[in-house]
Amino acid sequence: MSNKVRRFFGERPLPQIEVDSQVLGRRTRRDLLLFGAGTVAALAGARSLLPQALRIDDDVAESLYSPRRMVPTYTKSQITQLKNNYNGATPDPSYIPGWHVTLDGLASGLSVALDIRNLMTRFSIHEQITRLVCVEGWSAVAWWAGLRFDDLLRAYPPASQARWVRVESSVNLDASGNPDPYYVSIDLATARHPQTLLATHLNGQPLTVEHGAPLRLMVPVKLGLKNVKAITGLTYVAQESRDYWAERGYSHYDGI
Amino acid sequence: MSRATTPCPEAISTSMPSKQPGVIVTRRHHLLVRWSHWLNVPILLGLILSGISIYWASPIYQHKPDPITGTFDLAADIGIWICAHVPGLHRYSSPPDWVYNHMSLGPGMLAVALRLHWLCAYAFMLNGAVYVAGLIAGGGWRGLLPRRTDLFDALRMFRYYIGFPLAKLVRRQWPHPSSNTKYNALQRAAYFTIPIAGFLSVTTGWAIHKPMQFHSLAAIFGGFDATRVWHFWLMWVFTLFVVPHVILVFADGWDTLRGMITGWSARVRRPEVTANEQ
Repeated sequence: MSNKVRRFFGERPLPQIEVDSQVLGRRTRRDLLLFGAGTVAALAGARSLLPQALRIDDDVAESLYSPRRMVPTYTKSQITQLKNNYNGATPDPSYIPGWHVTLDGLASGLSVALDIRNLMTRFSIHEQITRLVCVEGWSAVAWWAGLRFDDLLRAYPPASQARWVRVESSVNLDASGNPDPYYVSIDLATARHPQTLLATHLNGQPLTVEHGAPLRLMVPVKLGLKNVKAITGLTYVAQESRDYWAERGYSHYDGI
Repeated sequence: MSRATTPCPEAISTSMPSKQPGVIVTRRHHLLVRWSHWLNVPILLGLILSGISIYWASPIYQHKPDPITGTFDLAADIGIWICAHVPGLHRYSSPPDWVYNHMSLGPGMLAVALRLHWLCAYAFMLNGAVYVAGLIAGGGWRGLLPRRTDLFDALRMFRYYIGFPLAKLVRRQWPHPSSNTKYNALQRAAYFTIPIAGFLSVTTGWAIHKPMQFHSLAAIFGGFDATRVWHFWLMWVFTLFVVPHVILVFADGWDTLRGMITGWSARVRRPEVTANEQ
């Protein structure tokens, strides 16, 4: 090492100054008060900023999103077990035979109902092995198949002013088995992501009732709680719609 | 306290010869360093308390459900053990929640914990930038760099700290190892490690917070699940640093604590004395 480098990195003697002995005491008192006041102010500020923290983070997540950035995909040997994380009771499968999804807020002004046969025959089916990440911290790698949300949006274009889609499931139940409709907001930019599927199959088999038969949202750029099971309605809206978990204190955008 | 038992005898006297009216002080810490140092107290407290509440929602250390208690979380087991063995806690209402009730915002607080964790995380990143700016502006970063002799010197310091209470008990002299640098080797190792741990906490935090947008970041740490383990243990680096840090500051005396408030130290080093001690 040259002397120049050594001098640059080398520790230097601390600067010394001579002060009146009273100055030291006064400065100590002043700075103690200042730092104390600063800490109280910081805590008070944190209290008032608490509700904004999620909004800042949602804005950061939204700015990170790019339709061209793909989520990592995995091989079949990397598949892990996916648990049934229905928040309440798992619905009785009796809803499945009469199931259809209703589309509202379309450019045509019509309300469209599609059953699972319609969806699977009219749209091409895509497969992907992606990670589902839960807000709780666990994650699972699973093999999904289904139609691209983007293809459905092209076939049934939303009204021009629509920016959000309200995704809901009317078959959702609470812990004691009573109806507890589930609804989330998804921004249309995310719905158009090429890896956002309306999934019909898990691990090569049609979805079971535990995983949202017959159609669930599979949006890997969002937290698991946005991946609505047993979708019964898609409504395109201009303003961000209500969101089940946002109403329970969680964030709105949930982009990961 | 006699000089020989003062933890920092290399930093000498606060009284100057009578002909000098004032006191000589050294400038130890830049204003931004002091500011960010104290802000770290509420920020780290918020991060750790909310972080353990987030941990509760999906513990990384799990086992098959216990046939008797039904718990699967190691932290719940620790709570049960504490309530069974610590006097006065036998009638604690919910032993599996003991750890979370005492070291976090509490169980079932995920939504609030996430809000607080992100608020503190953004504050922590800003505060880290302020700290680095202070280190550069005051030149303090040079004092943190490791030296070739540090391993040996750190062992000497370690021996000193371990032996200090014993020497006190038997009223033996226990001289502080001499050093003519701002920090001793053990302090240097700690103060060099903590900013790195802070940087890694932020990096692993982003990797598990945005695992799709930053999936390559998680890959560096071994994937999403492994990154959660990194993030958890980095929390322990801070926790294990803070305990001796606070104890030693109080053991060292008011001048050291005041130094982080005013930036000034009245212990002025006189090189010739240090030389004599060697």
